[in-house]
Amino acid sequence: MVRKQWGKSAVSLMLIAGLVLGGCSSGSGSKEAAPEGSAATEVKKEGFPIVEEPVQLKMFTRIAPVNGTFKEMPVFQDYEQMSNVKVEFIEAPTDGFQEKKNLLFASNELPDALYRSSLSPLEAVLYGAGGQLIPLEGLIEEYAPNLTQLMEEYPEIRAAITTPEGHIYAIPGIVTLGSARTDKKWINTAWLEKLNLDMPETTDELYDVLVAFRDQDPNGNGQKDEIPMTARLGLHIVTMMSGSFGLDQQLGYNINIEDDKVEIWMGSERNKEMLMYLNKLYTEKLLDPEVFSHTEAQYLAKQGSGQTGVFFDQTNNNFLPIADQYEGMSPPAGPHGDRMQAQASPVPRDFGAFAITSVNNYPEVTMRWIDYFYSDEGSTLLRFGREGEHYELKDGIPYYKEAYSTSETQPKITPYAGGGAPHLISEQVASYINPPQVQEAQKKLDPFMPEVRYAAPMFDEQTAQQVNILRNDIDKYYEEQSTKFIAGALSFDKWGEFQETLKKMKIDELQQLYQDAYDKMEK
Amino acid sequence: MSQRKAVKKPKVAMSDERWFDIVVYGIAAVIMVIVLYPLLFVVSASFSDPAKVLGGEVWLLPKDVTLDAYTNILHNDKIWRGYANSILYTTVGTVINILMTLLAAYPLSRPDLPLRKGMMLIITLTMFFSGGLIPTYLLVKDLGMVDSMWALIIPGAVSTYNLIVMRTYFQSSIPWELQEAAHIDGCSNWRLLISIILPLSKPILAVMVLFYAVGHWNSFFNALIYIRREELYPLQLVLREILLISQSDAVDGSVGLEDRVLLAESIKYAVIIVSSLPVLIMYPFVQRHFVKGVMIGSIKG
Amino acid sequence: MNIKEAPAGADLSTSRPKRGSRLLVQMAKRYDLYLMLLVPMVWYLIFHYGPLYGLQIAFKNFNPAKGITGSEWVGFEHFTRFFDSYYFWRLLRNTLTINLFSLLLAFPIPIMLALLVNEIRSKTFSKWLQNVTYIPHFISVVVIVGILTVMLSANGPINMLIQALGGDPIRFMESAGWFKTIFIGSNIWQNMGWQSIIYIAALSGINPQLYEAAKMDGASRLRRIWHVSLPGIVPVIVILLILDVGQFMNIGFEKILLMQNNLNLESSDVISTFVYTTGILKGEYSYTAAIGLFNSVINLTLLLMVNRFARKTSETSLW
Repeated sequence: MVRKQWGKSAVSLMLIAGLVLGGCSSGSGSKEAAPEGSAATEVKKEGFPIVEEPVQLKMFTRIAPVNGTFKEMPVFQDYEQMSNVKVEFIEAPTDGFQEKKNLLFASNELPDALYRSSLSPLEAVLYGAGGQLIPLEGLIEEYAPNLTQLMEEYPEIRAAITTPEGHIYAIPGIVTLGSARTDKKWINTAWLEKLNLDMPETTDELYDVLVAFRDQDPNGNGQKDEIPMTARLGLHIVTMMSGSFGLDQQLGYNINIEDDKVEIWMGSERNKEMLMYLNKLYTEKLLDPEVFSHTEAQYLAKQGSGQTGVFFDQTNNNFLPIADQYEGMSPPAGPHGDRMQAQASPVPRDFGAFAITSVNNYPEVTMRWIDYFYSDEGSTLLRFGREGEHYELKDGIPYYKEAYSTSETQPKITPYAGGGAPHLISEQVASYINPPQVQEAQKKLDPFMPEVRYAAPMFDEQTAQQVNILRNDIDKYYEEQSTKFIAGALSFDKWGEFQETLKKMKIDELQQLYQDAYDKMEK
Repeated sequence: MSQRKAVKKPKVAMSDERWFDIVVYGIAAVIMVIVLYPLLFVVSASFSDPAKVLGGEVWLLPKDVTLDAYTNILHNDKIWRGYANSILYTTVGTVINILMTLLAAYPLSRPDLPLRKGMMLIITLTMFFSGGLIPTYLLVKDLGMVDSMWALIIPGAVSTYNLIVMRTYFQSSIPWELQEAAHIDGCSNWRLLISIILPLSKPILAVMVLFYAVGHWNSFFNALIYIRREELYPLQLVLREILLISQSDAVDGSVGLEDRVLLAESIKYAVIIVSSLPVLIMYPFVQRHFVKGVMIGSIKG
Repeated sequence: MNIKEAPAGADLSTSRPKRGSRLLVQMAKRYDLYLMLLVPMVWYLIFHYGPLYGLQIAFKNFNPAKGITGSEWVGFEHFTRFFDSYYFWRLLRNTLTINLFSLLLAFPIPIMLALLVNEIRSKTFSKWLQNVTYIPHFISVVVIVGILTVMLSANGPINMLIQALGGDPIRFMESAGWFKTIFIGSNIWQNMGWQSIIYIAALSGINPQLYEAAKMDGASRLRRIWHVSLPGIVPVIVILLILDVGQFMNIGFEKILLMQNNLNLESSDVISTFVYTTGILKGEYSYTAAIGLFNSVINLTLLLMVNRFARKTSETSLW
């Protein structure tokens, strides 16, 4: 076997030498979608099956560590029967997915479509402009009634996925369910009760509550082992608190929009105020000292331990056994009376979840295939599987059967687990992630949500590169310095220097680019 | 053998030897303790309740002893398949590595080989320049090796570092006079390599087998890039899949993530022990070849 | 015990007349050696020199759709971007200091360990020492960093000890000042046993008669180490040193990345992690390639210098 392989290698030496000299041009460039292939197959504009003659498609996808293989999932088995479209998934695990995805494009080894692909806006624009991804706006109009309806209902979807030239290269995962777009502010009400404290309404009250959590031994074990407040690694705490200081998170960045003016607020006085507040929490050990170094696993363990006063997460799934100790809290009002839930994902939450490539012979079929998952019916099939077998309807809403509510079984029947699947997440399919407790917590946030949540804008190819280069330096600097300000490793005397450096890194230029993109979007 | 460096000094008293031994054993004991402590931690952690480990309560002895981690591993088919794959890749890969390295290192160690320096330069340069991921991937793809074990073996058939180490050993530890003598006896270079050089090179061959085998055993990046079918995954890739927990897993509050975190935490340490066993067992076999006096026998004989 | 470089030169230069044809004769006489080299050399050409055309993307704006050769040339744009980066000097400083300290501390320790092992007379104890020190090599970095975090956390054993001795707990993992010590220290802990193997193997190749002779001459144990053991492994030491210096700009990024946080970034930000986070993760192949090329050129220059120096002083060299 070994020898044979070697012989083969040696023989192909000449061939490779030629390859090297010839430069081995890998990308054959922009092949337009070949509609000829689909001429033979009649695509039905509505109803199922989508095609009379079975059609086969290859899709590249990511499987999360929790998932099993896609072909065993009821959704894909049933949908194949229903649509007459046979999908062969090329599955790449989350670990190494980004590398494999890049290599597919770099070596022009394209599948017919990318499913759950989390393409970045930059990637979508780059591969789209290069002709490896095809523009979808026409196909959506013709063959995607569900998606079209959603885009009419929520205009921000179109704005978020259309390039300045008017093309759409990737379809996002769409979340109309408000509570799947926010991290709730969970507070330990058992502790509040025990210490006879009221729900904090301002940042000052929050401070007092945290001090009480720290000093008055709310868990009653005689030890000071309570963590008054914690958050995900890094600046998660900033995104969770910024709304109380009048700092919004528009356009997917640290941006306030007032009277159509875009302001990147990283160097602003308001931000300084917030950082000083967080610095106070950190130095007095009210904020978890490990917040800048713990891992995701440790953070989740802290959620589940019941030894934490305040933390932030979308659902209560990660601390279910002790969930009755916690309740959602409204954003506290800041020193200037600001009270806003700044952290919130836009309706098109998971950008780049699905895309069609130039080698696809049946783009119309593919578009109709994916569109189904943007209906409540399709989304239910995707998330819950078969009625009776995997779920039951109560008041018209699907609930998992007992056997499919565990971490072992549920992710094996649905690709939603692990995130990023292209489908619609609405009230209808949210029984599991949106139980009453989470709904309550969301209600606490609703009055404080900004009217419109602008998603990160699409730039044209060149601007996208420019933004990328600017943000590489600026983001890194901002994150590092903010952390140091909060942790007290950098004194606020250096604030002027911080502002100066941001200027030097051309933050004004970046602001202008976002302003231009915003103006185009609003037109 | 040049012995001019041998030193003339008055006889040393026995007590000095003893004193020296005490120091040697003392230092060795200290090193053992420093190295052993964290290892003990790993062993203890593997038998402990994962929540206690994560909470920082375990620091020497196991807390709330449990065998869950090991039973979990024992019942995981993926791990066993990964195990089998890794053993196959390591064995085949190491055999090819040793053959290739030997065939390159020996001729290049010969002082009488014309163009030797040029070839060494060509080889050494490859340690510094590489075409990068994409062209290498294209090459492997064009050779039809993607998604097969050959993609994990052939592109790494020789490690330049190991080649240089082996060559250095040939140059410094096998007397050139011996080889010249063999030549005069009319021995061909192949014969010379097989019947004289190899028997004299047991220590370095043992080290090379160890280096290459451990390299194969621990590697995952090539598999990450080239292997698609899950049934071909080597052990390390299977383990990464189980152990890595990222924020994206928590999107939409993925079901029972907490359980998974604890599972990953619990088997993390047990997995180290189970997955290092084969390579740990190798060492004593390698060690056997570090016996002094290989040379003497040969010179005398 | 020197590497026989000199005789080789002598061997060839004795043939002064018609150097060319003499060379051919020399080569033809040793045709079988070239035969041995054939497969490995062909392999080197295919797998190392074949993909080299990929280097050009450092001077291009790599666009996957256009392929490597089809992408447009941009000259030294990516290089200037790197040199002008706000972080360039910090990256360079950290990369250099971490490597320098590693070379000064982590390089000699395995040698000393090997010498120590060689001096232990009890076979069982020596085997134990080798086995134990070699185990940590197999613990994956994820776990190593996990262990470090537990050991060095605010309520971990080390801080307990510090507090018991009346000191204040130190936040080791979140301190820029401690980063390099922890990084290099744990590297030594993990790899000294593994790296000593090669020296132990070399030591076992030393002719025992040399020790006997030295003993006869009345040399003390320390002197025997100095005059027999060390010279016996000098060629190996020199070669490994040259190779290490030749990798001066490269540090594995995985462990640093896992230990990195915004509070220690001041001393933990190195070129390899920068390449990973701003290049590979964001698919900026060209920028990454440019930085890689910059690294390679420096490494190669260092290697050539050290190699020349080594050849002059110890008669051992890579070629």
